[in-house]
Amino acid sequence: MLGVALAVALLLSVVVAVTVGPANIRFDEVWASIASHLGLGTSPLPLLRDGIVWQLRLPRVLTAAAVGAGLAVSGAVMQAITRNPLAEPYLLGLSSGASLGAVCVLLLGASVLLPLAAFLGALLALGLTLLLASSLGVITPTRTVLAGLAVSAFASAVTSLVIFWNVTGDSYREILGWLLGSLAGARWPAVAISFAAIVVAGIPVMLTGRLLDSFAFGDVSAKALGVNVSATRWGLLAASALLTGAMVSVSGAIGFVGLILPHAVRLIAGPGHRALLPLSALFGAIFLVWADTVARTLFDPRELPVGIVTAIIGAPVFAFLLARRRAST
Amino acid sequence: MSLDASRIRVLAGGTLIIDGVDCTVPSGSVSALVGPNGAGKSTLLRALAAVERPADGTVAFDGVDLMSLARKQRARVAALVEQDAATETALGVAAVVALGRLPHQSLWRDETADSAAIVAAAMETAGVTEFAGRDFGSLSGGERQRVMLAKALAQQPRLLLLDEPTNHLDIGAQLAVLALLGGLALAGTTVLAALHDLGLAASYSDHVIVLRGGRVVAAGPTAPTLTPALIREVYGVEATVLHNPTTGRPVIALSPLR
Repeated sequence: MLGVALAVALLLSVVVAVTVGPANIRFDEVWASIASHLGLGTSPLPLLRDGIVWQLRLPRVLTAAAVGAGLAVSGAVMQAITRNPLAEPYLLGLSSGASLGAVCVLLLGASVLLPLAAFLGALLALGLTLLLASSLGVITPTRTVLAGLAVSAFASAVTSLVIFWNVTGDSYREILGWLLGSLAGARWPAVAISFAAIVVAGIPVMLTGRLLDSFAFGDVSAKALGVNVSATRWGLLAASALLTGAMVSVSGAIGFVGLILPHAVRLIAGPGHRALLPLSALFGAIFLVWADTVARTLFDPRELPVGIVTAIIGAPVFAFLLARRRAST
Repeated sequence: MSLDASRIRVLAGGTLIIDGVDCTVPSGSVSALVGPNGAGKSTLLRALAAVERPADGTVAFDGVDLMSLARKQRARVAALVEQDAATETALGVAAVVALGRLPHQSLWRDETADSAAIVAAAMETAGVTEFAGRDFGSLSGGERQRVMLAKALAQQPRLLLLDEPTNHLDIGAQLAVLALLGGLALAGTTVLAALHDLGLAASYSDHVIVLRGGRVVAAGPTAPTLTPALIREVYGVEATVLHNPTTGRPVIALSPLR
């Protein structure tokens, strides 16, 4: 029930978000433009307005939806398999690693390899974070986040260095885009990459809810229930890295989506992963569509990178979760 | 349907924890695994549940090698109740017990139609129905222990392995859990429980396996096996075996070495 309501809310959010912006476009104009491009009649809109809908706003809003869904699912999965309520692609350094990988291939001019490089960057960062966390002693949630911070800071610094060294002119804006996360450049190729990641990694991951539930009491308990723990853990971490990598390759490192949404959904629907994963995806999509709408309209005509909006909402949530952990342990 | 283990060796971090254990757990009765701290009881239970693959040796249940079974098949045969289960996930009690159905489910569907009834029956048997609606994290240690037992029962196992199932329980609840295990054993489940309380082992088990330093030092029917000489040798304390006039079972009175 909730799922259906959210799916409808997402569809409405997408259409309404497309109407919002400097050029005022009505609801029915959006439908007309989409319908004409899907081959249902011809668009009554002037070419320029049609272009704003079909070339600029719609791909950006759709990318926001896919990226939000992907990051939220990644966060929920990472929280379950690391038994760490603070786990999230951004906090564990995956997003910064993916940014670095993406920026490197962009500068080499091999943009075809963009999602692959971002995936490898995310995987490498995750590996480094876990290695560093385990070198501090027993892997605890707080140590993992600290290790992620170190990895993330390093990857961000290298990303800045690479861009400063190679890009001329408008480089400052570009660096900010990658480091803070921005959907300003999202066009149809971004839609293709982000939706492909949802289909290839997101949907299979969403089917593993029962397995993730079994991780609640630790590895031995999951094994005793017949779960192949190491295959499940590494498979799902790789899928999270792939999902994060693909999303970062189109949007840069947008933080906290993977942290806020799964925790919010748990408050509403409980911790069972069979509901948590798809609901996180839907809430994540709606959340990022609106966060990006705020980002591009709040200080019109200047645009904020959407990562600033998510961080302003997410950092206090992170602080709250930290404080609650301390009270409970 | 007995459990037969032979030549079990388990290494952890290069140290030999279980050093060539042979043991048999008969069906139809409760067997106790006893021994001092660090004897390797928990490790042996995990090996017998085929959860952790031993470096060496075989575990057969009802003549079938547990290690050769697919993971899910194995989890339908054997259930393990761990000591001090804890979670950071705010799961409800009913959801925790329902985890026990996992070996009977695929990712997409539940392979048994009456899962809900099985979960309800498991909660009833373990006496946790009254707090089915509460959060696992809000329960006392004893209540958690019973919920984990209910989860294991929901697996519908034929072999039930328990690590200190009476830990954290008050005396009444300890006796209730051991009586419950006795009932399960009579109904055909093979039951092996690690117990550190020799008195409980003497009163409630029919068969005992005594472990020390990763080796079996004695095994057999409880009364003739748990002799004062053995207890002195294994635990370094004096023991006097009395008879409980109410139950007719042995009672072990302990005192420091003279």
